[in-house]
Amino acid sequence: MATQDTDPTAEFRKNQSWLYDSKPGAYVRKTAIGLLTLVVGAFILFPLYWMVVTAFKTTAEIQQIPPTVFPENFSLEGFRLVIESSIQAGGYAGLVQNLFGVTVSSAIDINLLGLVVSSLKVAVGAGLIAVVLGTGASYVLSRRDFRGKNLLMSLLLASLMFPGTAIMVPEWELISTLGLFNTHLALILIYGAMTAPFVVWLMKGFFDDFPDSIIEASRIDQCSAFETFWYVLVPMARNSLIASFIFAFLLAWNELVFALTLLDNSKFTVPPGLLTFVQGFNTQWNVVAAASIIVSIPVLAGLAYIQRYFVQGLTGGAIKG
Amino acid sequence: MSYVDHAQSSYENVSKHVPESLRVYLPILPVMTLVGVFILYPIAQAIYSSFFAKSLLQPDQAEFVGLANYVEIWTDPDIHQVLWNTAIWVSVGSLAAIVLGFLMGWLLDEKLPYTSVASAIVLIPWVLPRVVGASIWQFMFGGSQGIINELLVQLGFVDEYIVMLGSTELSLWPPIIGMIWRLAPLFALLTLTSLQGIDEHLYEAARMDGATPWEQFRYITIPMMKYNLAIGFLLMLIYNVRNFSMVWVMTKGGPGVSSSTLPVMIYRAAFIDFEVGFASALSVMLFVVLLVFSYYYIQFYDKVQGEM
Repeated sequence: MATQDTDPTAEFRKNQSWLYDSKPGAYVRKTAIGLLTLVVGAFILFPLYWMVVTAFKTTAEIQQIPPTVFPENFSLEGFRLVIESSIQAGGYAGLVQNLFGVTVSSAIDINLLGLVVSSLKVAVGAGLIAVVLGTGASYVLSRRDFRGKNLLMSLLLASLMFPGTAIMVPEWELISTLGLFNTHLALILIYGAMTAPFVVWLMKGFFDDFPDSIIEASRIDQCSAFETFWYVLVPMARNSLIASFIFAFLLAWNELVFALTLLDNSKFTVPPGLLTFVQGFNTQWNVVAAASIIVSIPVLAGLAYIQRYFVQGLTGGAIKG
Repeated sequence: MSYVDHAQSSYENVSKHVPESLRVYLPILPVMTLVGVFILYPIAQAIYSSFFAKSLLQPDQAEFVGLANYVEIWTDPDIHQVLWNTAIWVSVGSLAAIVLGFLMGWLLDEKLPYTSVASAIVLIPWVLPRVVGASIWQFMFGGSQGIINELLVQLGFVDEYIVMLGSTELSLWPPIIGMIWRLAPLFALLTLTSLQGIDEHLYEAARMDGATPWEQFRYITIPMMKYNLAIGFLLMLIYNVRNFSMVWVMTKGGPGVSSSTLPVMIYRAAFIDFEVGFASALSVMLFVVLLVFSYYYIQFYDKVQGEM
């Protein structure tokens, strides 16, 4: 034992381990912590669990009272209906019939594929706009001093505070005036404008911390300000840029209010599309759950990537609801 | 490469015609234009519209009515209920999310196995599309198949299934619970980060001086975290005041206005009753509330930045 105690690696491991605790009353403490974790964890995870098991239940089982905690007949009916109705509503039924000889006919009407494509278009567009425009501005705001800088920063921060719900009426009028009503471009511009200030904030933080020596070195090598920015800073900022893009993407992917008011059914993105389906009569919850899982996948992939930027981003003036 | 060269040369072409002193504004111009047109202008427009009687169906026939819309707010039969609901949302929702989130952050900071995985999983409610999160809760609370009812029966709180989303007395609470579920993880993450930011040596020194765990918590943990917690606190308030999706998906603000909050009332006024002026006056009210919160948010944000 004595050898282990002096081995710094083993010592470190022990200190890192939750199970290693020599303090008196450790067992009581650990039991309490364990129980608390279970209760809190159940509250957070149970709805997610419920969504997943619901997706794998049959319609009959969902209507059963009392509800089953685990699916009795594990079924892919929900997923099948989502895919079938997407194929049908998207107008691919004939194609599938020709290619695979399978007749697709669906009793429900949810074109998830179409919604996902619309959302992808909007989210990627908004993310690109926000990152491209935001990064250039953040560089100047970080590296230069000029008149009105504080005012600009305050305006950008203030624009992050205002909720979609409070400006949706003027936004609706503006979009109508511009002739962009019921176009995805309208959403791309609005979401871009909603996230660009946040990108400025995040990227300004990056450029603020950037060592001057690298910039000076590139200046000595006769690079212009733009060349320094494009060939030196942008490649080094890759991670922050990707994180900014994903933030903008997530906002656009999840946003309901503007999509609901500025589009009609034919152009809907995922949130309003899902909403109309949830609120239809005879909602088939296994289909809703299956569709929810499908549309959450891009979000979870994004989360996995940007997890470590999350807090930085959130305390960094990102006040997105 | 050619694209880059092109971008560069066009940048230089443009900047040639701009006086040296103004060139620094060039990279900012696009962002400010976008934000100006799609965020700042609508804010100004909302304030302007609030002085007019205007219908969304005939936007050209606006009549200047001064403060009449603001007077109408205070005489509206629904406003007391809506303000009261909003107050409950903000106070109860934020407080519960903070307490639960703090607890979660604290538990995540215990050196439990797989903390990093756990903190990613815990964030899922926050990043999930809001409509998805809200529909899960709607399903759990709703109708004849709701699992919550079954749980309450099993635990002996009620004798038979009760209608929750369609009841004027209860309908406010299911969306609040959904919102707590959505926001607590965010506060947990803030707590976790600030806990991990505290230097272990401070605790060691305190232990040597014989400080009890409570004293360590009171005199080290809390002071070290206070600005981050203040930011988290204000974020919770801001999010709860602004929340629309959770209510709209679960209850549409009803039955009646029993679960409506300010944003839901704005939406209804504008897109169901088409009263733009009235809706704008309500929006201005919401702006004022948010401005107050935002003012403190920025203050605390500056302090955190200053200390980091």
